[in-house]
Amino acid sequence: MPGLSNTLGLVGERPVDEIIRRLTLDVSRRLDGMLHGDFMGIVPGRGSEPGETRRYSPGDDVRRIDWNAYARLEELVLRLFVAEEDVTLYLLIDTSASLSVGTKLESAKKIAAALGYVALSGSERVSVMAFGDGLTTALPPSRGKKRIATLLMQLDRLEAQGGTSLARAVDGLLSRSVRPGIVAVISDFLDPEGFARPLDRLLAQKFEPVLLQVLDRQEVEPEAGGDLTLIDSERGDRIEVTLDERAIRAYRARLHAFFGELESWSKKRGVHYGRLTSDTQLEDLLLGYLRGAGR
Amino acid sequence: MNLLSPLSLLWLGLLAPLIVLYVLKRRRTERKVGSTLLWALAQRDLRAERPWQRLVPHLSLLLQALVIIAGAFALSRPAGAGHLPTGARVIVVLDTSASMAARDEDGVRFDRAKDALRALARSLPPGGELSIVEGAGEPSVLLPPTGDLLRIEAAIVRLTVNGGTQAIERAVALSSERLESAPDGSRIVVITDGSITGTLTLASRVPVAIERVGDSALHASTSNDAILALDVRARPTDGAPDRAEIFTRVQRFGGDAGDVHVSAEVRGEVVASRRIHLEPGAAASALLTADLPPDDDGRAPTVLVRIRRDDDRDDALVLDDVAVAASPGARRLPVFLVGEIPESVRRVLLTDGDAELFATSIDGLAARAGSELEGAYVFAGATPSQPPPGEVLVIAPTSSVFGAELGEAVERPRVITWDDNDPRLRFTTFGSVHLSSLRPLSLAAYTPLVTTEAGPAIASLERPDGAVTIIGFDPDHSDWPRQAGFVIFFRNLLEGARTRRAAGGIAPARIGESLRVPASDGGHIEVTTPDGTHLTGRSRGGLAIISIPPTPGVFTVRIGEQERFALRNLLDPEESDPSARVELEVTDGRTSTAVSEASEPRQAWPLLAIGLLCLLALEALWATRKGAAA
Repeated sequence: MPGLSNTLGLVGERPVDEIIRRLTLDVSRRLDGMLHGDFMGIVPGRGSEPGETRRYSPGDDVRRIDWNAYARLEELVLRLFVAEEDVTLYLLIDTSASLSVGTKLESAKKIAAALGYVALSGSERVSVMAFGDGLTTALPPSRGKKRIATLLMQLDRLEAQGGTSLARAVDGLLSRSVRPGIVAVISDFLDPEGFARPLDRLLAQKFEPVLLQVLDRQEVEPEAGGDLTLIDSERGDRIEVTLDERAIRAYRARLHAFFGELESWSKKRGVHYGRLTSDTQLEDLLLGYLRGAGR
Repeated sequence: MNLLSPLSLLWLGLLAPLIVLYVLKRRRTERKVGSTLLWALAQRDLRAERPWQRLVPHLSLLLQALVIIAGAFALSRPAGAGHLPTGARVIVVLDTSASMAARDEDGVRFDRAKDALRALARSLPPGGELSIVEGAGEPSVLLPPTGDLLRIEAAIVRLTVNGGTQAIERAVALSSERLESAPDGSRIVVITDGSITGTLTLASRVPVAIERVGDSALHASTSNDAILALDVRARPTDGAPDRAEIFTRVQRFGGDAGDVHVSAEVRGEVVASRRIHLEPGAAASALLTADLPPDDDGRAPTVLVRIRRDDDRDDALVLDDVAVAASPGARRLPVFLVGEIPESVRRVLLTDGDAELFATSIDGLAARAGSELEGAYVFAGATPSQPPPGEVLVIAPTSSVFGAELGEAVERPRVITWDDNDPRLRFTTFGSVHLSSLRPLSLAAYTPLVTTEAGPAIASLERPDGAVTIIGFDPDHSDWPRQAGFVIFFRNLLEGARTRRAAGGIAPARIGESLRVPASDGGHIEVTTPDGTHLTGRSRGGLAIISIPPTPGVFTVRIGEQERFALRNLLDPEESDPSARVELEVTDGRTSTAVSEASEPRQAWPLLAIGLLCLLALEALWATRKGAAA
């Protein structure tokens, strides 16, 4: 499984069991130190274990108000508990052909592996789904640390091909009558049909989307390259470009506008949005999400 | 249509590789990217930013390029051109007569003649030369032979209608002499609108081509109304001593029947008018009556007659729509008689009611020196050393007179010829005149008017300040006084004197001919034309020659404090007839030489312009259909 080995920084051919063990250790090591003291679980919610508190906001469940704190602080505070419920983390991974460029698919797998590891380690249910033109289930909802190896193996089998249709992926997810949960959408979001409408549908169906964008370095920082014919890896479209400073400047402007759209959409809906443009940012991306996830 | 350098069109072949260069795609490196979504948007932004867009090979572009090429070709005005051997010379005899100012449906004839001249100039082969000879009035070379197109163009720009009558025959003869030793292929091209009649004997055997400007068939829209004659005579009555009759003869050339207004003006004010009916090709007369009192200075006024069509149609020639004449007040003419005037002459002078005869002597004339241009002078016998200014008649001189020598007396010389083109001999004949004796005149600068087998009997000398006519015999010793021609001769002489006197001594001439103003050397002359334009000149050798435009009317001439008036009229039915008539038979002395009547260069640019429009329409249709399909 050279692909997965690359994904998690392993090299060489080893027996499957050993690889799974090392993978588990590797993922655990990379995440445990990072999460120590910062992470209470992926899914905040109701439960018996007391967790953090936060100010009451209109619409919150009044039964969760900490009346003791109210007596002391004279303000309404909600007491949050570590989830006890059977909450599912859906890892929705973009496997369209556009992810084949550079290290985008590997980055997506790393993110999925890390989140899956954390979730499974916290006794949460994890499901892996790959989407391109449609939606395929790579790992049905599973729970327990023992499933980590299966998770990693399933991730390793994912290959980039076909087009991108987030709308169809969401349709596929909702049509399976799955229970609402967290949907971590790991994609470049370069979908000609747009991302907002399908994600809004998820929100409407009580799912909590998390947007994790992966891009190749060349996509973020293109270099001047003279007269080029750019070929779209999904649709085969060809565009003739003279890759000079002006063209790059115009492209960057469009790219940042695209980032702005994603950020704006996420901020308005209280959805987490993170962006990974190189391997070195993987920890920051995950930490940024996991730190906020327990609240 | 001929092209001077058809091989040059091969340069258009460069368009093919040029277009191919645009059509060929640039070699580009292919690069696979995740998505071209953002690149497509960026490209769109770039295109929106740029004021220009990248050239895209397109059928539309090709069509438009063709339009431009054809347009440039059309604007170069390709025209039929002659084929001339190297070094050949072309002499263009250009009709500058008044009728060339006429406007036809295709424009002013003279402008078209200029265009034809330019086409001839462009068709000159290497080493070829072109010269221009004026074919009106006295033929003269307007442009010496040259192959320099800039000089030719400059000469063409300077050309004007001079208002004279056609002199095509003489101009062709002159041109023929100049082409006597010209290289093969040399030719004469006559550009005219008028009639050329008679047989012409050429000095050299050169082809003569005629290019006509003007409509061969007279259309209604090119008809011309013209004043053919104007005469103003006194008709005083008891209650109106200044009453005068203004006789005008008008003719319509071509067109339909219709009315025309004839009005007489004095000092800018209409004094009489009348409407007359004109049939095409027929003349009609209008007799107007008006009081024409002298002005505050006692000078007789000038009468201006103007005709105006009663319909909205344009008149082909405006030069003949106005005519001017001195009023009867100007007819009073003092005639000074010096010496023993023959009785027949005295009697004939007395028949002119407006002539005032004064008998005087040479000394008496000398005493009146300083009062110039008083009238006519008749000398019999002795004469002064210099003729006085004005009309001078010398009868039967006894010794050499004013530069003319006298020969020995000859008995009964027979008259053999006379110049009936001279205004003094108009409507006269000498065929039946018998002289008893004659001292023939020995001519130097004189022009013979009547010639006998013994020599000239009557001769004339034109001077800047007048004219001298010498009759070398005593009329009383001939049967001339018993003939009508005798009276007519003296009447013509006095009319000439009146005209000259009315013009302040300025010689009468045809419309457009230069003013010849007698004045002291170095004198500054100012001329105001009928349309108010000011011209100036300076006198040399006692005469100032000032070029004037071919405008009918009164030219006011100021010489210091003096003011004189020169009258210019067309009054020529041949020039007023706008129809073109070309008849010319040329011989070189032995056989007839072919005369080809060439049409004007047929210019192809209008057809090409139509082609351009069709191309543009097709292109627009194509673009529209394509847009609809898209």
